[in-house]
Amino acid sequence: MAATTAPQLAPCMPDVPAENAARANERTLVLAAQRGSNDAFASLVRLHERRAYAVARAITATHEDAEDAVQEGFLHAYRALARFRPEQAFGAWLYRIVANAALDIGRRRKVRDTDTLPDTVALPFRDPAESDELRRRLGEGLAALTERQRAVLVLHDVEGFTHGEIGQMLGMPEGTARSDLHHARAALRRALSDLWSER
Amino acid sequence: MSPESRIGPNGRDDDVTRVLRQVYAAPADPSYWESLEARIMARIRGDSDGWWMPLSGWGPVGLIAAGLALVVAGLTFTHAREEEARLAYEMVIETPRSLPQQVAAAREGTPAREATLHFVIAP
Repeated sequence: MAATTAPQLAPCMPDVPAENAARANERTLVLAAQRGSNDAFASLVRLHERRAYAVARAITATHEDAEDAVQEGFLHAYRALARFRPEQAFGAWLYRIVANAALDIGRRRKVRDTDTLPDTVALPFRDPAESDELRRRLGEGLAALTERQRAVLVLHDVEGFTHGEIGQMLGMPEGTARSDLHHARAALRRALSDLWSER
Repeated sequence: MSPESRIGPNGRDDDVTRVLRQVYAAPADPSYWESLEARIMARIRGDSDGWWMPLSGWGPVGLIAAGLALVVAGLTFTHAREEEARLAYEMVIETPRSLPQQVAAAREGTPAREATLHFVIAP
């Protein structure tokens, strides 16, 4: 039984009234920011910077690129704020912009670094004791995925975005996100299969 | 253990997901986020203090003015072309002030061949 061999991660249960209150608060901030309040925009930055970073980090290769993408994304959002309709979800709109900034940075980096493509994805090991075989092999497995498959896998399995949200962010149909996720998982499973059989 | 047996009901391998979450974890230090927010807001303030910002409000007015200028330029161009064509036609249609000798000779009732000769040998 998979459930007994692999412990399940707890699913996030949304708190609906709290979510509605947060959305109302966000709408107030958006309207104030549209009227020119920089303080209101700073509050929006505070509300969304972590999630925006997660989106950017899933797409870019490094922490530094993700940070650049977040800054670029917020700057673009600020410039386009007058065109944003407050009845929309600000987060979804912002994450699309951040994802676009991250993809753009990735494209620029690809053009710059065509001669020095890495054969593994750099994993930021914070604790040397954690740098075990699984992490090393995972890095190799991630490097073997396409950029888009890697982004879809991380956005879905790590950040909990739905296929539809990922499709919107990366500018592709929901079915493509679903299929990318399936292929990414299968490729990682293959890359790690002998590691599992050794355990 | 086979890789397939590790997959949970939602289709993901929880061990892999757990490592991925560690790998892609956002910085936990609150001061990092304060500093990122400060950098973002500094860029935004720098952007909104730019010399072009007072002009940004004039964007729609500028677009309308550019549109009107295009219409005026188009009308002027069309009018100029019509005037040019009218003048060209007038030059063709208008009776010449001095008739060529060949035509003048033909009017006098002389045969065409003789009129041509007169025209050619005329000083």
